[in-house]
Amino acid sequence: MKQTLSAAGFRIDTKTVSLCMAVVMMTALPGLTVADEEQNPRFGKIKGTGGVSSISGVGGGGLTPWATLSSYAEAGQLGGTVFASQARVDDYQLDIYGGSFNFHDKVEVSYVRQDFLIEAADLNIRQDKIGLRYKVAGDVIYDRLPQITVGVEHGELRDEAVALSVGARETRGTVYTISMARAWINGIGHRTTLLNVNLRYGDSNQFGILGYGGDDADTRVNVEVAGAMFLNRSVAVGFEWRQKPDNLSALKEENAHDLFVAYFPNKRLSFTAAWVDLGEIAGAPDQRGVYFSLQANL
Amino acid sequence: MAANTLRTSLFFGAALVLSLGACATQPATDADDSLYQALGAEQGIEQIAENFIMEIAYDERIFDRFADSNVQRFREKMIEHLCMVSDGPCEYTGDSMVLVHRGMDINSAEFNAVVENMMEAMDKAGTPLSAQNRLLERLAGLRPEIIEI
Repeated sequence: MKQTLSAAGFRIDTKTVSLCMAVVMMTALPGLTVADEEQNPRFGKIKGTGGVSSISGVGGGGLTPWATLSSYAEAGQLGGTVFASQARVDDYQLDIYGGSFNFHDKVEVSYVRQDFLIEAADLNIRQDKIGLRYKVAGDVIYDRLPQITVGVEHGELRDEAVALSVGARETRGTVYTISMARAWINGIGHRTTLLNVNLRYGDSNQFGILGYGGDDADTRVNVEVAGAMFLNRSVAVGFEWRQKPDNLSALKEENAHDLFVAYFPNKRLSFTAAWVDLGEIAGAPDQRGVYFSLQANL
Repeated sequence: MAANTLRTSLFFGAALVLSLGACATQPATDADDSLYQALGAEQGIEQIAENFIMEIAYDERIFDRFADSNVQRFREKMIEHLCMVSDGPCEYTGDSMVLVHRGMDINSAEFNAVVENMMEAMDKAGTPLSAQNRLLERLAGLRPEIIEI
């Protein structure tokens, strides 16, 4: 029965991914053809400073959220993104797609569908996540003190069997984040440089894919660090490091990290590519591979 | 225990952000005119100012804000200002940033639009990115004297 469910789920998801990609392309095409797109009066932020879309759907970063809210909305503007991402590591594949809204660069609401494929078993674990974030203070570029954003991410598994079988307490869970980010226009090597630090309070196992909580509950507070540098006005490179709790006695969970390059050809589109190391997942050690993400701004 | 961990983590996070900030921020005490030279001295700055005026003229987001400006005076004062900000041998004889912008209630999106025009102006003048960022950092420091006043 599990197989049927996931098989059906996979069909739907493939279709939805195609749909999402179509939306991305339709949104992106005007941006590629209209020369004056850089002066779109609705895109008040400077190119690249809205960041990209993280795997949990909120603005980031890839593996981690950042204090920057997604999209190019500034104060007094509304913005939105749609995105599709994929991580391929040795034994698993994670497909992600979703979108976000930004209100006045103060409040961000996001939705994401994660579809985790266990390749050896041809088994899918799907999770829906909604995110709500609020920019408390500061401006990442212009203020001396960091921009501070607080967030809530709520995840619910659509396919619960695996999480329950490995000892997770819940198949739904909520995590809370505080993100602090600061950019230096004239940073390292006279390049614009950003640093982001998050504190995460929650008990998700492998981003919630293996449920929430467990029989060997670890600390609920974890730290995430990311750094980025703009090589020019369109290309940024950086790293992320994410500490993860290890709540399940049967399985080991390790910290994750990545090295990324993000390309912003204009304010409509961004492409991100990364090398990721997710550590051990569900008994399979050293899960390393690649991550790609395509984001369009609405 | 959890409270302790939270405190430690908060401290760690804040300390990291602040200490890296100290490393990344260049002390603004350069007495030399290296930035002025990197911008191409008098000729380079004149080119940047002229390009900037052209960028604004074609930017519908903010053109209205400059519609009443005397272009010749604006050009002259901007060159002086850029020269002074980059430690060049000039004195800025124009009005203070606060006086110039008071009552305009410029918002952050408009400020960013001007920053983008400045970037474009410097790109077209062939200004190296490192010099662009050194200048932009100094100009960005004027933001509180320009927006929302």
